[in-house]
Amino acid sequence: MLTSAEPIIHVENLHKWFGMLHVLKGVSLAVMPREVVVLIGRSGSGKSTFLRCLNFLEEPSAGTITIDGLTVSAGSRVHASRSQIIALRLRTGMVFQEFNLFPHMTALENVIEGLVTVKRMPKEQAMPVGEQYLTKVGLLDKRDVHPIRLSGGQKQRVAIARALAMEPKVMLFDEPTSALDPELIGEVLEVMKQLAREGTTMMVVTHEMDFAREVANRVIYIEDGEFVEEGSPDKIFSNPSDVRTRMFLVRVLHRAT
Amino acid sequence: MDVNALRPFGPASADPDLSMGLKLLSDQRRARLVRVMKIVGVWIALVTVLAVALLQLRVDPGYIVDHRQIVIDGVWVTIGVSLISIGFATILALLGALGRLSRNSIAQGISGFYVSLVRGTPLLIQIYLIYSGLPQIGKQLTALGFPQLGRLLVLDATQAGILALSLNYGAYMTEIFRAGIQSIGHGQREAAEALGMTHGQMLRRIILPQAVRVIIPDIGNQFIAMQKDSALVSVIGIWEITFRANRFARQDSKFIEMYLLAAALYWLLTIISSWLQSRLEGRMAHAYER
Repeated sequence: MLTSAEPIIHVENLHKWFGMLHVLKGVSLAVMPREVVVLIGRSGSGKSTFLRCLNFLEEPSAGTITIDGLTVSAGSRVHASRSQIIALRLRTGMVFQEFNLFPHMTALENVIEGLVTVKRMPKEQAMPVGEQYLTKVGLLDKRDVHPIRLSGGQKQRVAIARALAMEPKVMLFDEPTSALDPELIGEVLEVMKQLAREGTTMMVVTHEMDFAREVANRVIYIEDGEFVEEGSPDKIFSNPSDVRTRMFLVRVLHRAT
Repeated sequence: MDVNALRPFGPASADPDLSMGLKLLSDQRRARLVRVMKIVGVWIALVTVLAVALLQLRVDPGYIVDHRQIVIDGVWVTIGVSLISIGFATILALLGALGRLSRNSIAQGISGFYVSLVRGTPLLIQIYLIYSGLPQIGKQLTALGFPQLGRLLVLDATQAGILALSLNYGAYMTEIFRAGIQSIGHGQREAAEALGMTHGQMLRRIILPQAVRVIIPDIGNQFIAMQKDSALVSVIGIWEITFRANRFARQDSKFIEMYLLAAALYWLLTIISSWLQSRLEGRMAHAYER
C-alpha cells in the first residue's frame, strides 16, 4: 500500500498537557522508511514525551499519529480505542532508558515473550526466532541467563532484541544509553549503528552527539515542546541557524570535551 | 623487615593476610555460637521455672499425658481448616486487589465495601453470622418458595468456619496483594504495553508472577496467624485443638492442664510454620539468579 516515497511515520499537530503544563505544543513530523531521526534537547524539553506519545505510552492531548498506514487520533472528544492503540504498538518497537527487562524471565524468554503472548506464536516456533535476535545483538551465549546476571550494556542489547523480535515497522529509542556506565555505552551504540546500516527506521532520543553526527539522517532540536530546528547532522552541528540550537550545542559539546 | 617474622600463630599459611582473616572469621563464628547457646539456656531456664511453679500449684501432668492424644488429633483439623481457608482467602485477596486497583468503579466499589465491612467487624461475629445467621435467611427463602437457595445457606460447622476464615483473611490479604502488585515498577508495565499486551496479558505474564514473589512471605505470615485465629471456630463445634481442649477442661475442671496443652500445640505449630517459611523465603531470594 505504501511506496517508499511516502512517510512511514506521520505526526500532525501533536499536543500534550500534563495538568497545566504544556509539554508538546503542536508538533508535526514525517519520517521516511529507512530514515534515522535523532531528537536532541535539554531534559524537560519534551523529546521523550514526544517519543512516548508515538506508541501511546503517553496519551496525546490532541493530534493525529499515522504509522505504516494506521491513523490514530487523540483529543478531548476523540478517544483512541484499545485495539487501535495495540495495533499502533505492534508497529513500533521501544527501547527504554532503564531497559525494563522482565526479571523473572531469562534473556531468551524476554525476547520471545511478545511473540508468544501477543502474537500467539507457539513456543517451539518462537525460540529459534528469539535465538536469531539474540545472535544479532551478540548475546546468544546468555540465552538462559536472568537479567540480574547481565551487565547494563547486555541488558540493553537484550531489550533491543526483545523489541526487534516483534518485527516492528519503526524502532523508538528513549535515551538508550543514559543509564549505562560510560564503558558500556559503546556496545549498545554499535548494535544501533548496525540496525541503521540495515535500513531500520529509527527515532532516537539521545545525548550521544557523536552517534547523532555519525548515524542520523536528520537531527531535530526540541526546546519547550517545539521543534526549533531540524536538518542534516552536518548542518545542525556545524552551522545551526537558530540561536537556541547553537547555545544548546555549545553547552553539550563543550561539556563533552 | 622479614615478612615471616610477622606471621601469626595457628595453621601455617603462605599468606599472612589470609590466615589472619580466617582467624577473625572463626572468632566471629565462635562468638555467635556462644550467644545462641546463652539464649537457648535462658529459654530452658524459663520453661523449667514455669514447670516447677505449676507443679507446686498442683497442676496434674498425668491428666495431660492421659488426654494428650485426643487433643493432638485436633492438630490435623486445625491445619486442614487453616490450609483450605488460606487457599480460598488467597483467591479472594487476588480478586479483591484486582478490584481495588481496577479503573472500573463498580469493581472498585464492591472490593472496597468487602474490605471495609470485614475489617470493621469482629471475626467472632462473622463466624456466628455465617453459621447461625445464614440458615435463618435460608428458612425465609424456603418459605418464599426457593428451597434450593434456602438449603444452600445452611452450612455445617466446618463449611461455615472455613467460609468465615476465608472471607476474613481474604479482606486483610487484599491489602497485602494490592501493595505487592503496586510494588512492581512502572517500567514493567510500560515494557509490557509497548510490546502490545492487553491489560490482562500484562497482569498474567508480567505483573502477577513478580508480585507473587513479593507476597508469598506475607501469605506465610497470614497462615501462621490464621492457625491461631482458627481457635475461634471452636465456638461452632469444629473438632480442632481448642474445641477438644475446652471439652475436657470443662468436663473435669482441668483448665490449666488442657489449655496449656492447647497453647503448647499452637506454639509448636507456629514454630514449625515459621521455620518452613524462612526456608521457602531463602529459596525464593535466589530465584532470579541463573
